[in-house]
Amino acid sequence: MSEKKSLGKTFFNGIIPENPTFRLVLGTCPTLAVTTSAINGLGMGAAATFVLICSNLVISLLRKFIPDQVRIPAFIVVICTFVTMVQLLMQAFIPSLYEALGIFIPLIVVNCIILARAEAFASKNGPISSVFDGLGMGLGFTLGLVVLGSVRELIGNGSIFGINILGASYQPMLLIVLASGGFLTYGLLLGLFNLVVKKLQNKKSGKEAQAA
Amino acid sequence: MNLRLSTAPHVHNPVTTQRLMLYVLIALLPTAAFGVYAFGVPALIILLVSMASAVLAEFLWQKIARQPVRVGDLSALLTGLILGLNLPANAPWWLAVIGSVFAVIIVKQLFGGLGDNFLNPAMAARAVLLASWPVHMTTYVAPTFFKAAVDAVATATPLVMKDASLMSLFMGNIPGTIGEVSKIAILVGFLFLLVTKTISWHIPVSMVGGVFVFSWLFGADPVMAILSGGVLFGAVFMATDYVTSPMTPWGRIIYGLGIGLIISLIRQFGAYPEGVTYGILLMNIATPLIDRFLPRKIYGHQKEAKKA
Amino acid sequence: MFKKTFRRGIHPLHNQHEGKGPTRHLPIEDYVSDSVVIPMNTNIGAPSVPCVKKGDLVKMGQVIATAGGFVGVPVHASVSGEVTAVEPIPYLGSVPAMAITIKNDFNDTWCDLSPLGSVEQVDPAKVIPAIQAAGITGMGGASFPTHVKLTFREGASCDTIVVNGAECETHLTADHRLMLENSTRIVDGLRAVMRALKVGKGIIAIEDNKPDAIAAMQKAAQGRDGVSVQPLKTKYPQGGEKQLIEAVTGRQVPSGKLPIDVHVVVLNVGTCAAIADAIIDGKPLISRVTTVTGHVVNPKNLRLRIGTIAGDAIGYCGGFSQEPGKIFFGGAMTGICIPNTQVPMAKSTNGIVVFNEKEGKSKDESPCIRCGRCVAACPIGLNPYQIKVAADKSDFAAAEKLHVNDCMLCGSCAYACPSRRWLTPSFKFAKDKLAAEAKAKAQGGANK
Repeated sequence: MSEKKSLGKTFFNGIIPENPTFRLVLGTCPTLAVTTSAINGLGMGAAATFVLICSNLVISLLRKFIPDQVRIPAFIVVICTFVTMVQLLMQAFIPSLYEALGIFIPLIVVNCIILARAEAFASKNGPISSVFDGLGMGLGFTLGLVVLGSVRELIGNGSIFGINILGASYQPMLLIVLASGGFLTYGLLLGLFNLVVKKLQNKKSGKEAQAA
Repeated sequence: MNLRLSTAPHVHNPVTTQRLMLYVLIALLPTAAFGVYAFGVPALIILLVSMASAVLAEFLWQKIARQPVRVGDLSALLTGLILGLNLPANAPWWLAVIGSVFAVIIVKQLFGGLGDNFLNPAMAARAVLLASWPVHMTTYVAPTFFKAAVDAVATATPLVMKDASLMSLFMGNIPGTIGEVSKIAILVGFLFLLVTKTISWHIPVSMVGGVFVFSWLFGADPVMAILSGGVLFGAVFMATDYVTSPMTPWGRIIYGLGIGLIISLIRQFGAYPEGVTYGILLMNIATPLIDRFLPRKIYGHQKEAKKA
Repeated sequence: MFKKTFRRGIHPLHNQHEGKGPTRHLPIEDYVSDSVVIPMNTNIGAPSVPCVKKGDLVKMGQVIATAGGFVGVPVHASVSGEVTAVEPIPYLGSVPAMAITIKNDFNDTWCDLSPLGSVEQVDPAKVIPAIQAAGITGMGGASFPTHVKLTFREGASCDTIVVNGAECETHLTADHRLMLENSTRIVDGLRAVMRALKVGKGIIAIEDNKPDAIAAMQKAAQGRDGVSVQPLKTKYPQGGEKQLIEAVTGRQVPSGKLPIDVHVVVLNVGTCAAIADAIIDGKPLISRVTTVTGHVVNPKNLRLRIGTIAGDAIGYCGGFSQEPGKIFFGGAMTGICIPNTQVPMAKSTNGIVVFNEKEGKSKDESPCIRCGRCVAACPIGLNPYQIKVAADKSDFAAAEKLHVNDCMLCGSCAYACPSRRWLTPSFKFAKDKLAAEAKAKAQGGANK
């Protein structure tokens, strides 16, 4: 892989090839906990995306000044700042979502994805590509959470984003919105996502081989 | 003349996987027949729907996944029947379909098909249905014996009532799932399985014994404990599932006692009235550990074992 | 009558009744063929070295090949006549074997024999050399040279000799008929060995599906010093050396050790009779009883000259009654397939069994359902399904940890398996691999 990837590639990287939810399997704790409905997933994803972009930017700007030995505490301090901002903002403007997500908002601080991007990307790349990386990863995470949340909400409650889809006669499968159903749905979607990506990649490499 | 060359042995026991499954199906016949006799046409419909959907699900999966179609080994049919017998007679038909499809595709095929599932498919499906549609799964009707099917009233199971007579518990004149009510039909099936050497006595006896001893220790009526709910049905037909139970005699006894302990704990101290499903599922998970770590006496190694 | 046995095991073919039925009541018949082809490498150890050449005239019992080493035996002409070929033939396994072909002149002229007299009077020191000279190897199947088995290493001692009359294999009735018809000779052979090794106890162990053989042997053993008969329950693999020792004495041979380490020597009934012949008549081992059965017109128990072509013996029994699908030497549990009917039988061939097309068909494997029947069957106490999983992944180190080297390839697990899994072949493959690895390691160590 070349040192300098195009910004588009950096952005797209987080959505499919290294999707944090379905490919890297990072941040599974909030993933499983908050995806009982699509709106929760979206809220969590948006909050994490915001923190991810901001922390990536700041860490990238500070990357030359942070001594290597204390980089993790430094990253955490940066991340904490943005998480606190998100927390206060959410509490002020969307209290219902804030209530629903509860402890998982402050827990974004220790979310693997954010720390991993800071360590693996932002501390080694310039601010612009770091922002795109944060955006891509954040959207990938949000996408994962919304898909998972939608599926669980649809099966477990008959609706998506609170809009009833399957009609009044549908008898919801309660298990899916319980914790064990979260694992089950996550596992199945994980398998499906990787199956599709593998098929696509095989097709692509097959075409390349043909072209060559 | 074309002579085949192969390594020994050149003869095989006539018993095949398919025949073993058939034996279990035959052993389930009295139970199923009693269920249909007691609960009428709805029970028959549930059983047929669950068997048909289990077989169809396995067939379609193997076609889609381009695997050899092994529906002929009867294991899917058996899973469907056991699941059906685990449902209340008045359950909606789609419950049976979802349960069967879940059992066959998610619990069995996704983990590698016959022999590789780590949970008993029918049990896991029942647990899923129970968690998802608790009302449908726990609304039992009293047996009607074709007398007054119109008046079938929803009642609680004897585990909650605690006042059914032992005789009616034994004969099956109680509300419950299609398969678990008649203990006498289950025992007939058990005898058949023992005579045909389809299963060994270890698991059923140790499991029922475990329920007896532990519920007595925990202060419940032990006779009532083994005759009520799905203990006997689970002990004979579900805990003995080859794939998810240990292979050695001692392993089987530990496994059975473990199930008995978990059932008694859940019944006496847990939030659920019944614990057979979770008891079996939890010990299913422990099975590989039992098989792996239970020491075996190997010919010619005894003295070494003592020294070590 | 208390019947002993070992732990676990199986009951193939309804306690053998299906396989042994056709021949169990048939007396032993003599059959001599037009020519014999005597392979040189039929014993465990070094192959014998031919000492005759094409065109030589040989007498019956004459040495035609000398032992290839201490763990080796001389080979004797099993018919009188002219040597027509000394050349390699395709034999069991991949490597061709040197073999001597003798055209029979049907005169059966014996060479000069030197009998040693009664087994109770013979000089004990002369017994083992006589056994060695007579070319006797274990006749139960493994064909280990008997004189080597009876020559102990320093410090070893023996207190019991067990005579193996279990005949737990399917289809075979050769030992059974021998016990009925030659019971005195078997006891004679046992007594000779007991005197040679100064052992006070000799036990003849017989499965209880042969009550007539038990009675005959008890009669023959009456009044003989220290000789007794022990009935055993019918179960496979009762005749396995280690299982037999466990059943009769209650002792277990430690893993990787020999029976002599628990002070026991096991001899087959046929071996005992051959020892008696060698001492009383001075005759070397040139014939043995072999059961020819399965889909042949008239199944028989035949006394065959060593080197009889399988096709000749089958022809004497009326030929095939159905199109053959598989022919093997030995019983159905451990028998070795022959590629064509031109393969000669050897000193350890206790049966020639013909299977038809349907019986010979190999069965398709289906998935393991973990029913545990293999575990219940294994006479060693192994977990065959776990070893199979390891072997299928070519993880031979794991297979070794699961004690695959203690497996004796008896086939009990594969017989019992409802999924028809190829357990025994996998274990043989794993054992061969491990043996090759160990050998390579030993050689590497020696080179350093």
